[in-house]
Amino acid sequence: MEIYAYKCKRCGHLHYPYRMVCRNCGENEHNEFDPVPLPREGKLLTFTVLHSLPPDFEVPTLGLAIVELTNGLRVTGQMRIDAPAAGMAVRGEVELVRTEGYDERFGMVFYPA
Amino acid sequence: MAVDLEKILRPTERTLPPFPAKYVTLASGEDMVIRQVAREEVPDILPYIEPLAHVERDFYDVVAARVYAELLAYVRHRMQDEYVLVAQIDGEIGAVVNGRAVDEDTGMSLHTLALRRGLRIGAHAFAAKMEYHMDILNQKEVLIVAESPIGFRRWMIEYKLEKRFDIPHELGGVPSWALTKELFEAARGSLVVGRRPVPDDALAKAKERILPPSDPPTPPEDLLAATRSRYDSTGTALMSQRWKQGGGK
Amino acid sequence: MRDVYAVGIGITSFTRLEYPLSEIAAYPAMMALKDCGLSEVDHLYVANMGGGRVNHQTALASAVVDTLSLTPAGAETIENGPASGASAIKQGFLAVASGMHDVVLVTGAERMREVNNLEVTEFVATLTHPLAEYVYGVTLPSLAAMFTRLYMERYGVTERHLAMVAVKNQNAALKNEFAHLQQPITIEGILDSPEAMTNNPYVSEPLRFFDCCPVSDGGACIILASEEVARKLDRPLVRLAGVGQATDTHVVHERESPTDLLAVRGAAEKAFGMAGLTPGDVDVAELHDAFTILEIVESEEVGFFPKGEGHVALERGETALGGKLPINVSGGLKGRGHPVGATGVAQAYEIVHQLRSEAGERQVSGARVGLTLNFGGFGNNVVCLVFAREE
Repeated sequence: MEIYAYKCKRCGHLHYPYRMVCRNCGENEHNEFDPVPLPREGKLLTFTVLHSLPPDFEVPTLGLAIVELTNGLRVTGQMRIDAPAAGMAVRGEVELVRTEGYDERFGMVFYPA
Repeated sequence: MAVDLEKILRPTERTLPPFPAKYVTLASGEDMVIRQVAREEVPDILPYIEPLAHVERDFYDVVAARVYAELLAYVRHRMQDEYVLVAQIDGEIGAVVNGRAVDEDTGMSLHTLALRRGLRIGAHAFAAKMEYHMDILNQKEVLIVAESPIGFRRWMIEYKLEKRFDIPHELGGVPSWALTKELFEAARGSLVVGRRPVPDDALAKAKERILPPSDPPTPPEDLLAATRSRYDSTGTALMSQRWKQGGGK
Repeated sequence: MRDVYAVGIGITSFTRLEYPLSEIAAYPAMMALKDCGLSEVDHLYVANMGGGRVNHQTALASAVVDTLSLTPAGAETIENGPASGASAIKQGFLAVASGMHDVVLVTGAERMREVNNLEVTEFVATLTHPLAEYVYGVTLPSLAAMFTRLYMERYGVTERHLAMVAVKNQNAALKNEFAHLQQPITIEGILDSPEAMTNNPYVSEPLRFFDCCPVSDGGACIILASEEVARKLDRPLVRLAGVGQATDTHVVHERESPTDLLAVRGAAEKAFGMAGLTPGDVDVAELHDAFTILEIVESEEVGFFPKGEGHVALERGETALGGKLPINVSGGLKGRGHPVGATGVAQAYEIVHQLRSEAGERQVSGARVGLTLNFGGFGNNVVCLVFAREE
């Protein structure tokens, strides 16, 4: 399973998440983007441990992070790292991140590299 | 004859070790004393709890009604091995917590009732209760349930309580959760807070009299307004209630 | 464009209100109409974010215009997340400035406590990006927390600075009879005491319980009118001199610089530009301190202090009542409460109240120019208003 960034077919600018109009050239039509899988390596830009969780989470705390990937794109994801530090090298896996009723949602989870 | 009958009706007498009083500094900078109260003091607390049985929100009504019954049962010797702790700020009551010792190894947490809001007093009071069961009574686990979602979030989720769903809890027979010795030790840093001994003057003030709460939860001014929007958005129930009260005018 | 004046204000207590949402919106409107002595308006704007989701009430403005018996005046509900209030004021401003209407009533209301805390957290989280943020369990406090960590690393803001904002604002609220929190707190109690972790636990590290505003119900109203109408009333003349708005990327991780709030900067620049004023002219401000870090950062981004020095000004007491530039003397969102749809209007209420010199105990003496900053999303849609006293 992959998470995709979107590359403008006209100017090559990468976006994550999806946008309808390219942020760089503004010239594309809808869906004039190529999906490009996000790289899995990056470094921790910032993070938090959340204690006040939304209802469908039955864990007491949740690690969240913003990671800067090797291609310069940034990603928000869950973090399963015991001793996080800013700038730390991390590796992402696409896993189950949330269940809403019977629906399962997948996303990026970061581990120490 | 009367004495024998009373003896049969009373619980078997067992002396539990007392809770050593402690104090904490609240967010407001005030100090709060948490201590165990004796039977003789409990009747003073009852009038502070009774009004809360009429406050519907946050399940105050259920909790207050049950606490009142449990405290009264304690006073009248109709509850086995119950203890009652109060939290006081400059003598004024901040919270009441109670529970029972089921046997040597198992505790039954009953209620945590905060009479002053906004300072996490309930959290301190609950923690004191857990300390009593684990450190003072040396029990192996405490059975706990929550009547309100706030309680659930604060205790079940935060302390990762284990499910003991095969055991019906004394509060309504609902499935129990348990704080085990292991969980308690893991959470000791945040559960066992407070300092001992309590400074003499603060303890004396607390023991002198349990003063009434200065800002307890109260029912909304217009009792029916609480129901009006949720269950009766046209206000018909409100109107008909008022009409009845006004003698049909 | 014509000049626009604030002629009437009204507000409810911010607390838990057991009344239907439409009444929470209508009550301050009644107060505002009494305030200026008007009984008719040309148009209504109602600011609200959660009516449909939390209170099962959509098309709120239609309910409000009728419960106030102001039909057949036109009415719309304005939704812009937590910036709904200021956005509704902006719409009112445009209506009067364009000449289309002479008197417009803007009321903001929210009833968040109709549901429990977990559901409120969930409701607010719906403003995040569904695939890139929401799905991970991201809530607004977690976004604020990640931002705070970066700000601490880069500019040396500490937990103590955050606690100072919390204490300043929560204690300021004691002078505001409508404020939600009426409980004084001390730095000792929330940070230094051995029991501070229980008194002030983490909500999302490093933000703690007292760093976050409470969940409140409440409503506030402001009536805007043309100069002609304003001069006929026997009230001090307060003009809505500048209105500015700017947006930024929806997802927080896509911001150009992770420690900048460009939408705040842009909105303030536009508002000052329209008003013909500068940050140095401001005497009193209401900033959006849903989290204590935001007061510090916004005070820099609107131009009061250089970037990265907001916490230094805080240390020096410059932002307290009596200081050089008092911020959130009403208690701010932290002390007064944050019914999301009402906040933008409540901030305007406070500024108008101050500029009329009617704020009593919490009056900033000699206040002639005031600013409000209403922060939508996590900094992706911001509206700034500048008010000025005339004569």
